[in-house]
Amino acid sequence: MATRASVRARSHAEATKRAKPALVRGSKLIDDSRFDRLVYERVRLGMMSALAVSEKLTFSELKALFGVSDGNLSAHARKLEEAGYVTCTKTFEARRPKSAYRLTASGRGALNRYLDHVEAVIRATRRS
Amino acid sequence: MPTSSPVMMDSHAIATLRYIRASMDAAATVAVPGSAGLAVGSIGVLAAALALSPALHSVWLLIWLVAAPVAATAGALLLSRQLALRGFTWFGAPVRKVALCLLPGLFAGGVLTVVEWQAQQLHAIPGTWLLLYGCALVCTSAMTSRIIGVLGGLFGALALVAFWVPDSMQMLVLGLGFGGLHLGFGIVMRGRDHGDKG
Repeated sequence: MATRASVRARSHAEATKRAKPALVRGSKLIDDSRFDRLVYERVRLGMMSALAVSEKLTFSELKALFGVSDGNLSAHARKLEEAGYVTCTKTFEARRPKSAYRLTASGRGALNRYLDHVEAVIRATRRS
Repeated sequence: MPTSSPVMMDSHAIATLRYIRASMDAAATVAVPGSAGLAVGSIGVLAAALALSPALHSVWLLIWLVAAPVAATAGALLLSRQLALRGFTWFGAPVRKVALCLLPGLFAGGVLTVVEWQAQQLHAIPGTWLLLYGCALVCTSAMTSRIIGVLGGLFGALALVAFWVPDSMQMLVLGLGFGGLHLGFGIVMRGRDHGDKG
């Protein structure tokens, strides 16, 4: 639970930090064309990372993990579904609807590409 | 002239990587491989067989005290292989949380073993081991899988049996627990592992 709370805390702290411009003096460091803006968003990135190490996660589990509202999470999940990065299975448990999300191969590939991109930023910045 | 305070781009990237890792750690559960159950169970069966033999029955405590670290090492090696396959490390949050759930029960078992041995209450040791190991497994199930909790519950039930059966039956109960239950768990988990791959 402490880890889940810390994910939320970091999410807020780093979202605030992100509002500042990221400046790198000198020339453009990396090619931006591979940058997937869908994955870049904080909650979506967290969802994909969490799903990368879990077979599936329910809507409630994702909500508790990232401390976001139902509407907010639904919107992010829908965008990932539309992109084919996650699949959603809807079932009923004790007459209540239950949504379970799984990362697709395409989603895993997008997350890996994003990780490569972030690592490239670090390498390029350190070289400059 | 206003000045901006530049934020190095790599600090954002590093923060992003940390966030990804934290998200993974928070969502991750440790999958205990069936092979670990089979290895630990086999050692348990062997220890029970040795402890039940008339020639070695008098040193049953020593046999089990040797078997325990051997089984723990075998289980840890197989678990570390599984962790490596999933990209986890021994020092990551998921493993740390599993250890925090598991170790207090095992420590309590060790302390009570010494206390009961000093008080010459040897007949209480098998039940104590089964009970505390079962409780530790139930706690660990929060970070692993539900089947570990079921296994812990069965160990707890066997502990109650061990406390009530005559001394002559205790080795059998201990073997049924640390041997039979682990083997059964290993077989079930192996089936699941193969099912996942298929």
